[in-house]
Amino acid sequence: MKNTTPSGTGNPIDRVEGHLKVRGMAKYASEFPVSGKVYAQAINSTIAKGEITAIDTSEAEKQEGVIEIITYKNAEKLKRYDEELPSLLPDVIQPVLQSPKVHYYGEYVGLVVAETFEQAQYAARLVRFEYRTEEPRIHLDRQRSDAYKPEESSDYSRGDVAAGMAEADEKVEVTYHTPIEHHHPMELHAIIASWENGEVKAYASQQMIDNAAITIANTFQIPKEKVRVIAPYVGGGFGSKLHAKQHVILAIMAARKIGRPVQLTVTRQQMFTNTNFRQQNEQKMQLGAKKDGTLTALVHETLSHTSTYEEYQESCGTVSKMLYKVPNNKVSHRLVPLNLQTPFAMRAPGEATGSFALESAIDELAWKLKMDPIEFRIKNDTQTDPSNNKPFSSRLLTECLRIGADKFGWERRKMKPGAQQEGNWLIGYGVSGASRAAPYRETSSKVKLELKGGKVYATIQMDATDIGTGSYTIITQTASEYLDIPVDQVSVELGDSLFPVTPGSGGSWGAASYANGARVACMNAIRELNQKLNTDEDLSIQALLEKNELSSYETTGTAKPSEAFKKHSVYSFGANFAEVWVDKDTGMYRIKRMVNVGACGKILNPKTAFGQIIGGLTMGAGMVIAEQSRIEPKYGNFITRSFADYHVPVNLDLANIDVVFLPEEDKIANEMGVKGIGELGITSVAASIANAIFNATGKRMRDLPITPEKLIMAEPEPDAI
Amino acid sequence: MRPFVFTQAQNQEQALAAAAANETAKYLGGGTNLIDLMKEDVERPSELIEVAGLGFQEIKSNQNGGYTLGAMLSNADTANHPDIRRHYPLLSMAMLSAATAQIRNMATNGGNLLQRTRCPYFYETSMPCNKREPGSGCGARNGMNALHAIFGWNEQCVAVNPSDMCVALAAIGAKVQVQRVNGTTRTIDFSDFHRLPGDQPEADNTLQPNELITAIELPKPAFSKHYYYLKIRERSSYAFALISVAAGLQIENGTIVRAGLAMGGVAHKPWKLTRAEEFLTGKLPQTKNFEQAAELAMREARPLEDNEYKVEMGKKAIVRALTQAYEKNA
Repeated sequence: MKNTTPSGTGNPIDRVEGHLKVRGMAKYASEFPVSGKVYAQAINSTIAKGEITAIDTSEAEKQEGVIEIITYKNAEKLKRYDEELPSLLPDVIQPVLQSPKVHYYGEYVGLVVAETFEQAQYAARLVRFEYRTEEPRIHLDRQRSDAYKPEESSDYSRGDVAAGMAEADEKVEVTYHTPIEHHHPMELHAIIASWENGEVKAYASQQMIDNAAITIANTFQIPKEKVRVIAPYVGGGFGSKLHAKQHVILAIMAARKIGRPVQLTVTRQQMFTNTNFRQQNEQKMQLGAKKDGTLTALVHETLSHTSTYEEYQESCGTVSKMLYKVPNNKVSHRLVPLNLQTPFAMRAPGEATGSFALESAIDELAWKLKMDPIEFRIKNDTQTDPSNNKPFSSRLLTECLRIGADKFGWERRKMKPGAQQEGNWLIGYGVSGASRAAPYRETSSKVKLELKGGKVYATIQMDATDIGTGSYTIITQTASEYLDIPVDQVSVELGDSLFPVTPGSGGSWGAASYANGARVACMNAIRELNQKLNTDEDLSIQALLEKNELSSYETTGTAKPSEAFKKHSVYSFGANFAEVWVDKDTGMYRIKRMVNVGACGKILNPKTAFGQIIGGLTMGAGMVIAEQSRIEPKYGNFITRSFADYHVPVNLDLANIDVVFLPEEDKIANEMGVKGIGELGITSVAASIANAIFNATGKRMRDLPITPEKLIMAEPEPDAI
Repeated sequence: MRPFVFTQAQNQEQALAAAAANETAKYLGGGTNLIDLMKEDVERPSELIEVAGLGFQEIKSNQNGGYTLGAMLSNADTANHPDIRRHYPLLSMAMLSAATAQIRNMATNGGNLLQRTRCPYFYETSMPCNKREPGSGCGARNGMNALHAIFGWNEQCVAVNPSDMCVALAAIGAKVQVQRVNGTTRTIDFSDFHRLPGDQPEADNTLQPNELITAIELPKPAFSKHYYYLKIRERSSYAFALISVAAGLQIENGTIVRAGLAMGGVAHKPWKLTRAEEFLTGKLPQTKNFEQAAELAMREARPLEDNEYKVEMGKKAIVRALTQAYEKNA
């Protein structure tokens, strides 16, 4: 008979691969001992726009150990874009070193391959480039007249926003700014590439194995079957490793040229210029509400930028279409092509930045209405997605706000800014609501069963990745639950393009997709073994194998979204609370407490889920405290080039964090009731902190990050003092 | 990184001789700044002479009541030394606000005095910088200068000195001991050690070629009761100061008999607030006097396009640091 094993989903077991990581035994891309490998160092342009006019490699070539120097002059011809401004998608081609043109500061212009890492790095400095320089277009503000509408769906409207604003008793019309931010996962982007018998093998730090294989195959114009991508462990990505970037192509190109395996690691400095970023956004908000708090209109217009060679649009306005019940709504996005690299999805693209604008503006309007910002949000809550009239599969926004308020001690908040003081500190409380789509994608996996010494051992294989999120652990727990065997009899193998295809890690669909993919394979195994016996007895997996007289068995399974999923809007919801202490004189402030409540379906493992939310809150706090990459106004390069000057929060910046998951199993989202969590954690965190700063000081900080220099120069709102 | 010769000096004489024999050699202490700059191709020494093993690791009390800090002792060991904590808590506080625990464990006292500016134009070899490449121009003067100087800058250079330790040493009034190749020594007043850019922005200090810092001398302790190091920065650790203030007060019978006051993040050198110190001497430790001292200190500030905020922040920081110093043991 079946027993529910305590190791199944929902239990806070330790990471199954944790012991490998702490002992340094989990191998990351650049750590594979590929025999005969040599090292490459990429060279970056030192202008933002123009053309290479001369290249002198003579000094570099003379250096000891140098094997090859590749520039556009001798690079292999690759598939190139056949249209202008193609969309940057995870499976796009990535041509590199194909022309003398320079589109942005730091663009790859060459590659040196040498016997050792040090030799390659040194020789790369000795390659001389001469350029014909053109005036770069690098200022969003100055170039705004070039803004264009990227696609039809960039604009959305319902009702009549002019009429909605006209009937409003209180209005907010303000603009918010968010800066360029960089992903900066701990593990540098890296690859070891080799060619053998016309086939590519790449140990590469990638979030999506299948997409990486497609990009490589299409860029080199070879069949996908001839590309193998391996990434068993990935040290974070935050979106920057969704697609195979140019360095992947460079290494593979070099490996073919010299006939040896080539290792290429992108340096931390190059992670500012060559692995994309979150773009700068200017978000213009107009909100109107009646005295009783009923929203009458909401307009969210975003201006941001793309590169001059690819198009990427972050949909900041998405959240404004669906979070609140407002009859009159307009959302638009415009892009300006600039001489910067193409921006690309960074944790909660659209939501992280859009929620800062929306949830700050909601707070501003609540203040004007003299209404509690929680009550204002609840007043406009809805169970139907106003953007498409589909019901939400589940939506516990009001519960998140209420339970969070209770946990946080919201009743102690004074509405008037500056009313709570202790010594030199002004104390403020802030709140924000959060939502993030909970997508779910077709996912396949293989299960291999083995009967050994009276025990059943299972191995699950899929090309999924664990980017630090806990994929290994939740897949193990899922197999343990559906096969009803202990977790230590389950092994999980990930990150290899030889395994069944999954959507990879991104978009917060990983947990739901991987777990359901594993579930279906396990259930297929049980069903197939039952069918062989022609029985519907409830037998254990061990009994099934034994009665079939099998010592091993393997099968595959594919999970995909149901019809019900398509008829609903499927989102995770949450609420953030922050207590911030602002020094009354110096511009310094401290985030004292944060409470996050999430309603994100079944929690497969509270421990790894908690880690995800903590990471999201930290990154959200980073958006407020200091994260920004500023562009030098003349040269067009980033002046922050290391972790010493690109400031992410340190431990001291974050005090007490409380995370609450509301019990929820959303069976419309998927069979296991799991919803996304990785991006919900960062969503609207910035607004909760900025709102707390207003509550402390009366200052509306609409320009991230909120640094001491900005805070000390800001004036309180006239009606707040 | 460019190839270089690594020389491990067995004693002081060897180190000095090796340096004298190669004008593009550099002494290597903890390497926490120099090695980073070599990786960035900003510093290009042909030889590194390791001096960390030469001794100079002691903290000694002197007959005049002061103390001597060995140049090769780590910042962490100095800041946490019981005598320093007791007699020079201002120095300890400033040093512990710097960098990270790991960097403080590696960084030496002598090296701290020589750390170079964090100006982004200095770090990026494709941009102009008179400090890195004399004559190439100052990118920051009309570029991004929010983090730059408000005192003592000129068209040649607007960079600031990044040290926290040096701000406290300026407030305390230390001296720097150096050894020369010919075996003689000399002592440099701390206020004369670092320099303003003048027409030689590439020179951060007044050390002569090949001179080796061997010790820092501290005067008889004056601020062990009333002290505060205020560092305003973007995050709580591992961030350079936007503005910092080292404040020490010696109070007798309710009156300030001596004030030590210096600022960081505002000039090419640790900025000693001599006029404010003089003003406070003989005054009562009261807010209005602190405010007047701050006004006096900031009167000659000349902000750049992006750092107007430093004037306001500087005043607030001086008043706060003096208030905290006074209240610390009031």
